[in-house]
This record gives sequence, structure tokens and C-alpha cells, in this order.
Amino acid sequence: MDVWKISYVVNDSRQPGGITNLDHAPVVGERFSVGGKQLEILEVLELVPPRGPFHYMHVTCRIVDDAKGDA
Amino acid sequence: MKIEQLLKRVELFNTLDDADLEAVAALCSQRVLDAGEVLAVQEEPGTELFIIADGLVEVVVQRQGAPRVVVNLGSGQLIGEMSLIDRGLRSATVRVIQTPTVIYAIRYRDLQNLCEYNTRIGYRVMRNLAADLSFKLRQHHWSGG
Repeated sequence: MDVWKISYVVNDSRQPGGITNLDHAPVVGERFSVGGKQLEILEVLELVPPRGPFHYMHVTCRIVDDAKGDA
Repeated sequence: MKIEQLLKRVELFNTLDDADLEAVAALCSQRVLDAGEVLAVQEEPGTELFIIADGLVEVVVQRQGAPRVVVNLGSGQLIGEMSLIDRGLRSATVRVIQTPTVIYAIRYRDLQNLCEYNTRIGYRVMRNLAADLSFKLRQHHWSGG
């Protein structure tokens, strides 16, 4: 039952980044939803080594805009 | 999900055993909140630590000029940990932005009493708290803050 604690930033200065837990390792290309917005992961970095079941990652994302045929 | 199972997924309680988690769970009270509700107000005193079980909040800071959202926090994250440590006023306003958002609240006094009574729990909680603050600092750096 590992936990991936991720820091994320969005490639858009209007969007604040955030911190949340995931129940799986984030991977490039994966999409996840935060606050009603779909984000796609562009880059994944390990911030610090894991401690027990906790993994610490930083991901860079972009907002997926399905309305513009970006899905 | 039993609250002990949820607490296992919160970094603050990493390495606590089942008995320890039961002791922590006994201190928690659940609240279900809607978008727009405010959990903490900048420059006001706080008496509780909040753990986000599910949902999303935004952390808003006002220094000079318009308020600015500095970070969003989702499941497993802590709110109010700074005031727990330094007893200062809330450093930011925290507003719920997803309905429903489920949080668990622990009164500072109750957690401090548990940590002093059971110093093994106390050491681990304080170590994990330091790690959480360190992570937030790294996130702040990476976000260009």
C-alpha cells in the first residue's frame, strides 16, 4: 500500500501548483483530474528518496483542453 | 474506509503502528465541506490541525495587493501544521474548492498531549511533520515561489 506524494506544477502561470497523494507512481503521459481540470503529466522527477511506503515526486503538467481537440 | 486505514496513507503518521494509529484516530473528528467553505483565515489564531481525506482546497495568501492562490492541496495533505509548531497565527486562508471535501480535524492540544504522553509517537509525528514542511518548501522552490 504505497503512497506517492506528488508536488505538481502546471505549465501555465495562471494555475497554482499543488500537492496531493496518489495511489500509484505517476508516469509521463498520464492524465489526472484536480479541481475539475484534467492535467497531463509531462515530466516526473523523484524529489527525495522514499521513506517506508511513501514516495516523493515532482511532476510538471499541462492542462488538457478537450474542447480544442487536445485529448 | 476506517479512519485508521486513512491515517496510514497520511505521511504525518508514517511508521506508527496499529495501536498508535488507534490513539490518533480517537482524536479525529470528521467534517464534510462544500466548495467555498473556509477552513482557516490568514492572521487569525488556529486551534486545529486538518487532514484532507478527500477533496481539494486552495491556499490563499494576501500580502500587498490582491489575494493570491499559492498552492492547492489534495488528499493526504495537512493544513495548520505551522501553527501547531510555532503557535503563530494562520499564515494563509484555506478555502475548499471541491464538493465534497472530507477532512479530519485534530485539536492541537490533544495531539500535543498524545505526543508528550507517548514520546515514541511524539518523536515520529514531529519527524514526519518536519519532512512535510521540507516537502512543501521543495514544492515552493520548484513552483518558482
